[in-house]
Amino acid sequence: MSTETDFKALWTKQSTSEIPDTKELLVKAQKLKTSTRNKLLGLNLVLLATMVFIIYIGLNIDNEKLTTKIGIVLIAIAIVSYLAASNQMIPMLFKTDLETSSQEYLAQLIRIKRKQEFLNKVMINVYFILLSAGLFLYMLQFLERMNPVWATIYLVLTFGWIALAWFYLRPRGMRKKQRALNDMIARLEEVNEQLGS
Amino acid sequence: MVFDDIYKTYWNKVFRICMGYVNDYDWANDIAQETFVTVWQQLPKFRQESAIGTWIFRIASNHCLRQIERQNRMPRSEMPEQIIDHIEPDKEPQVQFLYKCIAELPETDRLIISLELEDVKQAEIAKIVGLSETNIRVKVYRIKERLSKKFENYEH
Repeated sequence: MSTETDFKALWTKQSTSEIPDTKELLVKAQKLKTSTRNKLLGLNLVLLATMVFIIYIGLNIDNEKLTTKIGIVLIAIAIVSYLAASNQMIPMLFKTDLETSSQEYLAQLIRIKRKQEFLNKVMINVYFILLSAGLFLYMLQFLERMNPVWATIYLVLTFGWIALAWFYLRPRGMRKKQRALNDMIARLEEVNEQLGS
Repeated sequence: MVFDDIYKTYWNKVFRICMGYVNDYDWANDIAQETFVTVWQQLPKFRQESAIGTWIFRIASNHCLRQIERQNRMPRSEMPEQIIDHIEPDKEPQVQFLYKCIAELPETDRLIISLELEDVKQAEIAKIVGLSETNIRVKVYRIKERLSKKFENYEH
C-alpha cells in the first residue's frame, strides 16, 4: 500500500477549502495595507505631539538657564528614540523578502531577531541614560530656587527612583524580553539546521 | 499572467502545502490567503526569472515558515485526536493520517515532501528551499521511507 503513487493519490484527495472570492482577498490585502499605514501614521502623530508639547513648554517656561533647554531636548530625544525603536519604526531593518528560498528566508528571520535583540539592549540603555540626564539638567533650575532641605529630599527621591529603575526594573524587563527573543532565535536556528544535514 | 488565473490554478496546491505544514484547516486557509495577498502585491514586480510556480511556492513556503513566530498557536498535530475528528468528520482516515504524519515532520521536511507530492520537480524544490538537487533527492527518499514505516504500523 505504501508506495509513492499512493502517497500522491492520498495527498491530492485532501479536500481544500473553497477558493475565496478574489474580491474578498483583495479587500483583505487593502485592509492590511491601510492598517499598517494607519499604525505608522498614528505613531508619527504621537511622536509629533510629544515633540510639540515639549518644545512648547521649553519655549514658555522662563528658562534663563541653558541646562533646562538641554534637559528638555534630551528628554524629547529619549522619548522619540524609544518609541521609534520599540515600535520598529525603521521598517528597512525589519523587512523580509518572501520571494527568496526557505534557507535565505530563515537566515533573514534570524538576522532580524538578532537586530531586535541588539536594539532592545541598546535602546533601553540609551533611553534610561538620556532620560536621567535630561531630567537632572531640567531640574537644576528648580533646585536652585528651593531651600537646601527640600532640594536634598527632592534629589534623593528622584535619583532613588532612577537607581531603582536602572538597577532593578531595567535588568528585569530586559531579561524577560531577551529570553523571549533568544527562544525564538534558538527555534529558528533549529529549523535552519534541518537544512544543513 | 493575470492574477485571477494564477489564483484559480494555484489555490488548491498552495492550500494543500499549507495544510501539510500545519494540519489545521482554518490555519492553512489563513496562510494560503496571506500567500496570495503577497502574490497579488508582488506580481507587477515579478520578472520571470523563475517559473511562476516556483515563485508562488517560495512565497507559500516562507509564509509557512513565518508561522514559527506565532508560537502561541498550538500545532494541530499536538492536539488530542478526537478534536481533529470532531472538526473534520467526513475525511478519509488515510488522508487524515498522511497529513498528520507530514505535519509531525521537521518544518523543512514538511515543505519538501509537500512540494514533492504536489508534483513539483526536484530541481524546482531545490530552488524553492535553497538546497542542492542531490540533497533534496536524499531528503525526499528518507522522508518517504519514514512515512512508509508509519503507514505500515498504521495498517497493522
